[in-house]
Amino acid sequence: MSTVMKTTRDVRGVGLSIPRPDGPEKVTGHVQYVADIKLKGLLHAKLLRSPHAHARIVSIDVSRARALPGVRAVLTAADIPELKRKAPTRAHAVLAIDRVVFAGQPVAAVAADELSIAEEALDLIDVKYEVLPASVDPLQSLKPGAPPVADAGTEADASEALAHSAVAMAKSDDAPPKAVNVTQTANVKRGDVAKGFAESDVIVEKTYRVPMVHQGYLEPHAVLAEWDTTGQLTLWASTQGSFNTRAEVADVLGLEENRIKVIPVECGGGFGGKIRALCEPITALLARATRRPVRYVMTRREELEAGMPAPQVIIRLKTGAKRDGTLMALEAETVLESGAFSGTVLAVSSVFLGSLYKWPAFDIKGSEVLTHKPSVAAYRAPVAPQTIFAIDSQMEQMARALGVDSTDFRARHLSRPGDPMVNNQPWASNGAFEVLEKAAAHPMWKKRAEWKASGGNGHGLRGTGIALGGWLGGLQPTSATVKLNTDGTLAVLTGQVDIAGTNISLAQIAASAYGVDIEKVKITTGDTDVAPMTGLSAGSKTIYTVGVAVMQAAQDARRQTLEIAAGELEAAMQDLEIVDGRVVVRGMPDKGVTLASIGKKGNLYMSKVPPVIGVGHPAFTQQAPAFAAQLARIEVDPDTGEVKIHDFVIVQDVGHAINPLACEGQMQGGAVQSLGIALTEILDYDDQGRLRNPSLLDYRKLTAADLPNLETIIVEVPSPAGPFGARGVGEPPIIPAPAAIANAIEDATGCRLTEAPMTPEKIALAIAAR
Amino acid sequence: MPKQILSFTVNDEPVETLVQPYVTLLDALREDLGLTGPKEGCGTGDCGACTVHVDGQPVASCLMLAMQARGRAVRTIEGLANAGVLHPLQDAFVRLGVPQCGFCIPGVLMAAAAVLAEHPRPTEEDIRYGIAGNLCRCTGYTKMVAAITEAAGSLT
Repeated sequence: MSTVMKTTRDVRGVGLSIPRPDGPEKVTGHVQYVADIKLKGLLHAKLLRSPHAHARIVSIDVSRARALPGVRAVLTAADIPELKRKAPTRAHAVLAIDRVVFAGQPVAAVAADELSIAEEALDLIDVKYEVLPASVDPLQSLKPGAPPVADAGTEADASEALAHSAVAMAKSDDAPPKAVNVTQTANVKRGDVAKGFAESDVIVEKTYRVPMVHQGYLEPHAVLAEWDTTGQLTLWASTQGSFNTRAEVADVLGLEENRIKVIPVECGGGFGGKIRALCEPITALLARATRRPVRYVMTRREELEAGMPAPQVIIRLKTGAKRDGTLMALEAETVLESGAFSGTVLAVSSVFLGSLYKWPAFDIKGSEVLTHKPSVAAYRAPVAPQTIFAIDSQMEQMARALGVDSTDFRARHLSRPGDPMVNNQPWASNGAFEVLEKAAAHPMWKKRAEWKASGGNGHGLRGTGIALGGWLGGLQPTSATVKLNTDGTLAVLTGQVDIAGTNISLAQIAASAYGVDIEKVKITTGDTDVAPMTGLSAGSKTIYTVGVAVMQAAQDARRQTLEIAAGELEAAMQDLEIVDGRVVVRGMPDKGVTLASIGKKGNLYMSKVPPVIGVGHPAFTQQAPAFAAQLARIEVDPDTGEVKIHDFVIVQDVGHAINPLACEGQMQGGAVQSLGIALTEILDYDDQGRLRNPSLLDYRKLTAADLPNLETIIVEVPSPAGPFGARGVGEPPIIPAPAAIANAIEDATGCRLTEAPMTPEKIALAIAAR
Repeated sequence: MPKQILSFTVNDEPVETLVQPYVTLLDALREDLGLTGPKEGCGTGDCGACTVHVDGQPVASCLMLAMQARGRAVRTIEGLANAGVLHPLQDAFVRLGVPQCGFCIPGVLMAAAAVLAEHPRPTEEDIRYGIAGNLCRCTGYTKMVAAITEAAGSLT
């Protein structure tokens, strides 16, 4: 597909703001999540978790717990023959074998008749630990001689990187002497960096730090497992990808995939944190041990202490330019703190540091380091908000030092489609420039001097900030089917989990591609036994990839429909069109057959007409980068350091808005997560690696009272390969705000903050130190 | 511990059930009465997903013992629609495309209904502070505020 698919058919489909069909179920409380499902004989699970970040397990005595009435199973690593050392992922490390590597790591599991009994049983398990020194600070953990995290010989896990960005990066060829906790390194270079800096008139060097943050989905991880008497396992899971969950559980438990059915229950938010299996294997093992259905639901405290948060990202960045604004050189060192298991997306940082703007010379080093903290996972555009925080802050400071409008400066140096990325592949078609241009033309940016001047005099200090960020877009093969029912309606089937309003958008794609109104289309998310293989709902790729599968399946169904009609009408296929539920000969509206009659004949006794079933099963090679710019108008209280966001604008290239309403929802929700990273959110660890704020009172997310209305501006630069020109929408809006807020704070106060979250305390201290 | 008899009104129906004295109202509603609309997002009263009305006031049902509801009138999200007709708030939430993952929505709607009971013509600030105890991670709250504003208009 090299041309942009246009919707030429006059149907209610692509481009309309149609509310999602499950809305009434959601507003009445009838939608079921995993924790809402009850099965006969259901048992409840609890996990005993390590209080220490690093310790040797001397002994575990579960005898008293096993004796408690109502307890049906107590498992430790000794009870699970499938467990192996050198676990490459958290899912494989079902229970700690003889060493715990983060506070919150499960060491024993209980299934009981009631949750309160399971909780009581945990208190009766006696674990003796020998506490070991822990690697808590990633910069210390980088050093040779740091307390080791992984078992020697454990392989780094790069599967996460593949799922998200699919950017090929060379591994470092001149890796430093390997420190024990360094699991991945990368180095990309071009040109002569030293010469570039020597010829620079303006050099800015700063170190940016964004701590571990939690994805913050409202529904904690939950799973329900049941085995039948033939050895078939069914998992009701809150997952972003049922086929990936099935594959991971099959691998951990040594089962054939055919013996596992994953039912993707409504997912109460994921944002990357529900891609990888977490508590599915242990729940399945408890169900196997008890021969009863077992449900496990994490508490919020467990989520915060032992979920799979975003990595801490530390970036030292040095950039140089000539007085006339010519960019000269960039040097960067990125450290990604992966927690106790490898699995960060190292390449994303290098790509955006080195290729968003055109640097004639760069030298970018990156490393992933393990620490004794929970292992990380994706969080909506993994590593991109942290990377853009660094590079966009840097561009803003360089523009200030040069005395030029920072939007002009960004636009002048922005890489354009065709320009080489750090890996020398050309930038694909994208709307970065258009997004930046639109943001720069916004009155909020134009009137930033007036806003600043209105500060003081009884008001706080006022400032405006802008930032530009983007996402390359994930790729994953996928499939879908479209059936014609006997009444002329369409049934679309995929296995994709709708975490973002994607089902309505996919149904709109099917409607437009086939030629019926959206009201005639029903879309279903099937379980892994019935749905065609479908990729993850992640990487901003559901519409971009599953949308193509649905479009091709609908086109296939349309072709089959027209072929049958051509026989009936004794007409050539190319002379036929679908109008108002009928296939008619173009220009002869009286000569036609209804879709219902074609559907009926596919299910009629002795009929020679086959059922219509369209199939789409594409694989992909071409990414569609998607960009967002955000504008923040803020007021800073100079005494308390408190930031009030007065106005906020999100400008985003969505390629083609399949459903503008759903796009806006993504843009607004992503922006608030981005603002949370900027202003309030941090998983705050003490020097022993224990979380200091394991509740939603102390892990501060933004509320309705903290925010203004968020203005959305949709830009449409069609992608060459996406369905109807669409691009991914979900991830770009979480990227720019940390930089936009830092830029606004500098505009307001003259202080440059480089560590997120930019709390009142940090801001007040910076103002006091001016 | 022996179970105790809990008699109260739930969504306008008299209910009598046996509960453990240490059980929260949220657990009694969800586990004993099968009303799974109220959600447990934190269990510590910080997220608002479990919000229900007790005698017309919004409460975090995860922080209240079930027995404290004895003799009182509880309304959950399941009782917000009237005889199958969506409440104007629910209707506006659907039309304006508010729900995404939907997990926070039952609690937000109950908080919003309480806002409208107190402020028939709410300001944006009334609405924003009225739902400030309800965390949502998907929507950014903008469409929520718009839907509540619109529903308030249709109710007055």
